[in-house]
Amino acid sequence: MKHDNKVETETLSTLAQTGSVTRKPSDIELVALTKRYGPAVAVDDISLRIPENSYCCLLGPSGCGKTTTLRMIAGHEAITEGDILIRDRNVTNAPALKRGTSMMFQSYALFPHLNALDNVAFSLKLQGIDKTERHAQAMKYLELVQMEGLAERLPGQLSGGQQQRVALARSLITRPKVLLLDEPLSALDPFLRVIMRSELKRIQTELGITFVHVTHSQEEALALSDVMVVMNGGKIMQAGSARDVFEKPANAFVARFIGGHNVIRFGGRDVAVRADKCRIAHGSDGRHLIAEVKGVEYQGPVVRINLQAGDSQPLAVVLPDSVYFATPLSIGDKVTVSWSPEDEWALAG
Amino acid sequence: MRDTGQRRPRSFYFLLALFVVYMAFLYGPMLCVFILSFQGPTGGMSFPMVGVSLHWFEVLFGGAGGQGVGDMHNSFVRSMRMAAIVAALTMMIAVSAGMAYRRKFPGSDFVFYASIASIVMPGIFVGFGIALAFNLLGLEVQWFSSGIGAQLTWSLPFGLLIMFIILGRFNPSYEEAATDLGATSWQRFREVILPIILPGVIGIFMAGFTSSYEESARTSLNVGTGNTMPMEITGLLTSATSPVLFAVGTVTTLFSFALVIATLLITIGIAKRRQMRLSAH
Amino acid sequence: MTPSPRMASWLQVAPMALILFCLVLVPLALIITVSFMDYGFAEVIPELLWENYLDIFTSSLTLQLYAQTFKFVAIVWAVTFLLGFTIAYYLVFHVRSGAARAICFAACAIPFWTSGPIRMVSWVPLLGREGLVNKALLGMGLIAEPLSWLLYSEFSVVIVYINVLTLAMLGPIANSMSKIDHSLIHAARDQGATEWQIIRLVIFPLIKPGIAIGSIFIITAVMGDSFIVKQMSGGQINTAVGAITTELNAFQYPPAAAKSVVMLVIVIALVASILRLVDIRKELAK
Repeated sequence: MKHDNKVETETLSTLAQTGSVTRKPSDIELVALTKRYGPAVAVDDISLRIPENSYCCLLGPSGCGKTTTLRMIAGHEAITEGDILIRDRNVTNAPALKRGTSMMFQSYALFPHLNALDNVAFSLKLQGIDKTERHAQAMKYLELVQMEGLAERLPGQLSGGQQQRVALARSLITRPKVLLLDEPLSALDPFLRVIMRSELKRIQTELGITFVHVTHSQEEALALSDVMVVMNGGKIMQAGSARDVFEKPANAFVARFIGGHNVIRFGGRDVAVRADKCRIAHGSDGRHLIAEVKGVEYQGPVVRINLQAGDSQPLAVVLPDSVYFATPLSIGDKVTVSWSPEDEWALAG
Repeated sequence: MRDTGQRRPRSFYFLLALFVVYMAFLYGPMLCVFILSFQGPTGGMSFPMVGVSLHWFEVLFGGAGGQGVGDMHNSFVRSMRMAAIVAALTMMIAVSAGMAYRRKFPGSDFVFYASIASIVMPGIFVGFGIALAFNLLGLEVQWFSSGIGAQLTWSLPFGLLIMFIILGRFNPSYEEAATDLGATSWQRFREVILPIILPGVIGIFMAGFTSSYEESARTSLNVGTGNTMPMEITGLLTSATSPVLFAVGTVTTLFSFALVIATLLITIGIAKRRQMRLSAH
Repeated sequence: MTPSPRMASWLQVAPMALILFCLVLVPLALIITVSFMDYGFAEVIPELLWENYLDIFTSSLTLQLYAQTFKFVAIVWAVTFLLGFTIAYYLVFHVRSGAARAICFAACAIPFWTSGPIRMVSWVPLLGREGLVNKALLGMGLIAEPLSWLLYSEFSVVIVYINVLTLAMLGPIANSMSKIDHSLIHAARDQGATEWQIIRLVIFPLIKPGIAIGSIFIITAVMGDSFIVKQMSGGQINTAVGAITTELNAFQYPPAAAKSVVMLVIVIALVASILRLVDIRKELAK
């Protein structure tokens, strides 16, 4: 059964006006969540509502607190301050097994002494379900992840991608309300990553539950998210749909981290302009900078030109290959970079 | 790891020679014992061999009309009995204690340093202390109570250290995954932790067994009446200076070998059944 | 009812803590107490005095016993360290195949499965007056008469210590060595370091924990030993522990206790100072 995935999301600004926005049902709500290790603050007073049945990505550089946040939702990390609600039930003090969440670990953590089928059936065994019954159910989930043919194999005999599928099946058999994924695609090679990515999205849609997926790859986050949460230094920099975050970055950090943007100090303020919306040509209304070409990168369908304007303003312009090769550039060339005012997005602070 | 295919540096040959000499140093005496245990009936404690015979084995086992040497049979049984009990106790107590150390708890340092102290203290010292304690309490020193207790002071710290090594390499995600899937702490232990650390646990059992079997300093004062094997053999060293000692040596060595090989086979069997890569990720 | 994590740890460690307390700490306290007591012929008089300790420190005979012990410790430590280090270095860095290395380590460990007393007596055919070594030396014309100091002497004691204890140094050192990241060695070689320089500047500093653990084993084994010394010296050489054993057998508990306490203090001081240089729990946890 497919859900309509065009879910409306709330940006930070509307979060501040709690109560005046229609509250859609949420699967997860974080309220002033904080995690401290002694004097160090890993997660700093974050608040977030993740709507039901959505694919949510926590995106950010290493050490930004995304994994800690995930583990707090899972119940594997104690909360210092704040609350976590899952389907409007406060689970802040609930143990991990009672939260209705299930976690997929970065290392998959498949039990090495059990084969794939027994790994998946593990939680059923804990509940005392007898062997035939639990093996049958486990098989169904292995079919969901297309691993039914390798049910008898031990984890040591499976490839990385196969282990991940089994781990996924194992997490889903507990019928969680929320699936938490800790950098699930990081250990895979790039080709496999793209394939598994669409698998994850397919399964999330089919099952109709919420996935919270931690990643440091903006490409992954853009491809998967209904809700994208960009974090840095323990705080949420921006939360919104993928398009919102990409087209309207809230601040310079988000603009730089999400990629594909130039952050330009222009007219006394910081603005973001997408690299593919910049042109090597004179602008018509004063929105241009003189820059020196520092490097040219061929990337297949597009060519990326790295430039520097003035002393410290890096710029990047991405042109379709045909446009570039019509008038190619050399390192050291001084050119004019320009953009249109409607492509300019003012950045906060 | 190494660059293969390269010519060996000169140092390699020097080190290899040293290693060979070391092997000769280690095995020379053992080989002498082995060879000389087949000494002829009129031969002495040194070479040359005066004939080759099983005479001394017969003397040892009490054949050929003799009564055997010393009280070998009984002391052997005593040693085995003690070793089995000590090994089982060590395994259970050390595994339990090792599991405790996965968290920080008040008193963890105390128990750790007490364990180190127990190993560091000379054996007769500990043995003396225990015997003294029993004496003062008016209790008799017996193999079952003070004897086993004394041997535990030696085997338990080693068991704990082995647990540290095992659990240090244990991926914590396994446990978190188990919790996530609904396991209580007992289920976590029985279904996940124990199967994975089983080879190590067997190692603790065997370490406890062999250390008990060999131990003499702590045990001798605490075993009460009746000798253990090491004590019996020590007694023989002074009383019986004949190649029968070599026969004893050969037999006990073969027995130890058998034990160790049995353990290896069991451990390999377990690992094979799981086909676990030795470096779990 | 699920106990809190701390409670759970306490329950789990309780049996071991109890045993250590009753069988190590209480007896220790007893020994310390008894060491202050007076004694007569085969009886302990419960009066507290310092005499036992004074006797130790004022009797040159007793101090000599301790000196003999230290002498053994020093020699054995030096030799086992050199030998253990070299063999470990060979095994970890020169032996190429993992299988060969495992076999070599097993070969080093196998002799331990012979019983202790047997290993004593096994040296007689080698070192005795009619033993192989003497026969060989005589045969080669290097000596005119069999050497008597090969057996039942300081030499034989040290030889046996080395035979038995080198593994205790080799093991921890090899363990430390195997944890060294090999790219460090490659990088050093790329920079032009000779093998000896690599040993001195890269390997040696990184294996200090292993050396520490090995040293602790060696020191405690030699200082606490009465058996090997007695057997291999034919009863001719006495050490502090030997004297303790003698007194114990004569039921003279207070002086034995005093000597034991002094011995223990020395051992613990040595071990503690070594432990100050290395964190064992970190070493084990890798």
